[in-house]
Amino acid sequence: MAKTGMERLEELKMDIYKCIHCKACRFAYSGEPDREGIGEFAGKQGTVLYEGMVDACPAGIEYGWEAFWNAGKIWIARSILTGDLEFTEEVRDVILPCITCGQCSAQCENKIRTVDIIEALRAACKEAGVPMIERHQLIERLTKELNNPYGGKAEERLKWAKDAGLEKYIGNKDAKIGYFIGCTASYRQMEIAIATCKIFEQLGINFRLVEDEVCCGSPFFRVGAVDTAQELMNKNIEAFKDLDLVMFSCAGCYKTLTNDYPKWMTEGKLPFKTMHAFELISRLITAEKIKFKPSKELKGKVVTYHDPCHLGRHMALEMEQEIIEESKNLMMDSRKIKQKINEWYEVPRIVLRQLEQDVGIKFTEMYRIKLDSFCCGAGGGVRAGYADFSLKTASLRLDEANAVEADIITTECPFCYTNLSDANNQYEHGLVVYGLIQMIDEFKLLDITEKPTLKEILSMKE
Amino acid sequence: MSYKLPNEKDLQAMIGIVGKEYATNNKAITASYLSKSVMGLESQIPDIVIRPKYVEEIRKILVYCSAEKIAVSPVSGGLSGGFACPTIKPGGVLLDLGRMNRIIEIDEENRFCIVEPGVTNGELWAYMHKHHPDWAPPIPDGAPPAATVMGDAIDRGFSLYTSSVGPQGDNFMCGEVVFPNGDVVRTGSWALPFAKPFYKYGLGPDMWSFLMGSQGSFGVITKVAVKIYPHPKFKTVVVWGMDNPYDMQDLTLEIGKQEFGIAHNTVMVQGGNYPLVMARWPKDKIPHDYNFYKEIGISQWWMNWECWAQTQEELDYVTNRIDKMAEDFKKRAKSPDAIIKQQLHPKQIASRMKKPNKIAIPYSFWEAGFLFITWYTPWNESAHFAEMYTKKMEEYGFPPVIWIASIERCRQAICMPIVCFDSTKQSDFEKVQELNRDTTEYALKQGWLNYRPDPYIHVQAYYQAGMYWKYLRAFKKLVDPNMIMHPGRLALP
Repeated sequence: MAKTGMERLEELKMDIYKCIHCKACRFAYSGEPDREGIGEFAGKQGTVLYEGMVDACPAGIEYGWEAFWNAGKIWIARSILTGDLEFTEEVRDVILPCITCGQCSAQCENKIRTVDIIEALRAACKEAGVPMIERHQLIERLTKELNNPYGGKAEERLKWAKDAGLEKYIGNKDAKIGYFIGCTASYRQMEIAIATCKIFEQLGINFRLVEDEVCCGSPFFRVGAVDTAQELMNKNIEAFKDLDLVMFSCAGCYKTLTNDYPKWMTEGKLPFKTMHAFELISRLITAEKIKFKPSKELKGKVVTYHDPCHLGRHMALEMEQEIIEESKNLMMDSRKIKQKINEWYEVPRIVLRQLEQDVGIKFTEMYRIKLDSFCCGAGGGVRAGYADFSLKTASLRLDEANAVEADIITTECPFCYTNLSDANNQYEHGLVVYGLIQMIDEFKLLDITEKPTLKEILSMKE
Repeated sequence: MSYKLPNEKDLQAMIGIVGKEYATNNKAITASYLSKSVMGLESQIPDIVIRPKYVEEIRKILVYCSAEKIAVSPVSGGLSGGFACPTIKPGGVLLDLGRMNRIIEIDEENRFCIVEPGVTNGELWAYMHKHHPDWAPPIPDGAPPAATVMGDAIDRGFSLYTSSVGPQGDNFMCGEVVFPNGDVVRTGSWALPFAKPFYKYGLGPDMWSFLMGSQGSFGVITKVAVKIYPHPKFKTVVVWGMDNPYDMQDLTLEIGKQEFGIAHNTVMVQGGNYPLVMARWPKDKIPHDYNFYKEIGISQWWMNWECWAQTQEELDYVTNRIDKMAEDFKKRAKSPDAIIKQQLHPKQIASRMKKPNKIAIPYSFWEAGFLFITWYTPWNESAHFAEMYTKKMEEYGFPPVIWIASIERCRQAICMPIVCFDSTKQSDFEKVQELNRDTTEYALKQGWLNYRPDPYIHVQAYYQAGMYWKYLRAFKKLVDPNMIMHPGRLALP
């Protein structure tokens, strides 16, 4: 794969030129205008009709101009390639407020890799000498200095583990399974990191917390600072290279190491397998090795689930692209795509349905879910660069949870968790936000029938 | 004719009309409105984009631009497939009418709905599905859900019941239009204050028809009253296959002539050839040989009849009658053995009846781009057209993809070759244009009409229809004295 933004844009030329400006990419359920839904709801961010096609591009909804919707950006990319447009701050300011949620790509009948294009555009913009916005420059500076964009001390990355009595796992040389915590769980939502470790402990998993872990690089892949991203990538690959499997509790980190690293590595492939912790829980339920204990506090609570974009849609679209790449007869293989994507989205739902059965929660889906899920607003460098817009987007998502009368909204990404929590407080949605693993740990729900062996865990990713 | 290149002063004037949030010359934003696909390969970045919401704003914009001789191209919220009418030379102002997106009224008794230009097919369909489920709006079948009813009509489109009731333009009863001379005119019965928009021919000659097919080159339409039709629960699709376009044409015509009978129940009658299926997939990831399609039950040519009826009995009668007529047709067919009824799975039927849909979109998946070079022919010349065009497409190295649909019970055919090509290659662009020129010359000699004429190749039709064009120009001069509206379209000015 190309190593600069402009090279990548050239590589994606066929994708860019496939765009016919049909605007299907604006909507969730773009092919289902008479899909039954839950009706109209007046939320904190206005009234939305949750039926049929619903506007689902956060930047388009916020800013309105064609340039902020995906198709407009694809034609900006084409204009750059043809020389009809040059990179300027005007271009930067239009291509940056995109959360890179991938909704557009999911709706595209021509299978355009829109997120790749937007990220390449940003990288090329930076390479052309257009400065990053101040907030992005700040997080890049912080990360180069401290290995994380939050400004936390590098040496305190694993402080939460020491404080929680999990020190023995730091640098645990015997372990073949590593846990990549990520910056948000290390410095902001430590309860998620602690909960994940406690679950691993209960399951008897011998794991390692890697001292040399640094930021996964996701913010920098997204905003176009690919040099910085690749530096971080190389550090992480070196730090984790002797592990067989690396587990994640962060959707963004998981997607970055699983999908982005292999594309940007100059040689070889990823030396370890990757798995998100929710996948482990789900597969153990399917294998009947675990279930859940009842909980008085949670019984009867209406719980909804927010599909994190990086964990849900991005992984699903990557699966689709892999099948397309390998296929000799895509018409016949297209059913495989649907099946694989459906199976992937079932992973958290297996957990939620088990919780419903064992714990007594009432699991209720929002209107926009799975491949059509609406973003939390945090990704793509938007939380750092355009905080108001980011939180408004999260509030739009929480309106949808309010519309189904949820008490609790769960998700499986600390970044989604952060943004949804902050918007919940700012806009007073009255919900409780939980990470799924966090909820399982906090309410002591795990009921283990049989602990999995290392071999069983490793075989889950074969 | 020369036009002024809008400058900063002009932008400020626009901002004075709509507010600074809704007028811009930001180069990134203006570039985002480009489109070179689907119906046209010519597109130029506009100089200013404006997003008005009110009729008075549009009136002021047009009056200003007319005085300053600045070109104006209106685009309704969707695009009838890829910004079918983007700005072309000389650029100027693009009016993005997406903010004018009210569904103003649905009148079930008088059977019309009033909408603004930015109302998309998807919105209107969903709204009626929810609030008026027994009625259906005339959205264009096959155009993406983000396309608009208005854009489709202005650009001479068709609707989902076009075979039964006629072209899209016939569904439009009255409208409100803003002309660059500053006048806001209502047409038909709507011209009378307090009158409902219930009758197209209103007080006198139908001005609305002058606007149908104008491609935004006369004025900006700000409201339309469109017929709505019953949306019965009893629907299905019947498909018959054959191995040549002449049998497809002739069988369909026999059924189409059953007016006051089953022809009125067959709302959408459309078909084509097997490359219609093939070219929806990447060129290197789908078999090209017909034998594969034969094995999975796809005929070389076929026709779909989408049937609507008020009762199950009526539906059964219609479908049985189609089948009987098809069986009987074998006695007269060129290839009787190839005439086979295609059995559809219920899911396939449901998929074909889904409206609006995205079926016309994936032809870019073949390589990286496509062009619909669409023509109207008398129905009984559609096979000639299909034979000629598919041969030409193959000569030029393009897959011979063609789609044909009936308008008004096979009075007209809309014949749509889908030219799939690699738009990253200038050489392919040039080949497409050559094919277009080559076939246009032939088609015009046959008396066939281009569906959505592009301003460079199809424009020769206007030179051949000199007297018609003279009056077209005269009308344009009346309402657009400085010829600012979408210059170049319809060979005007």
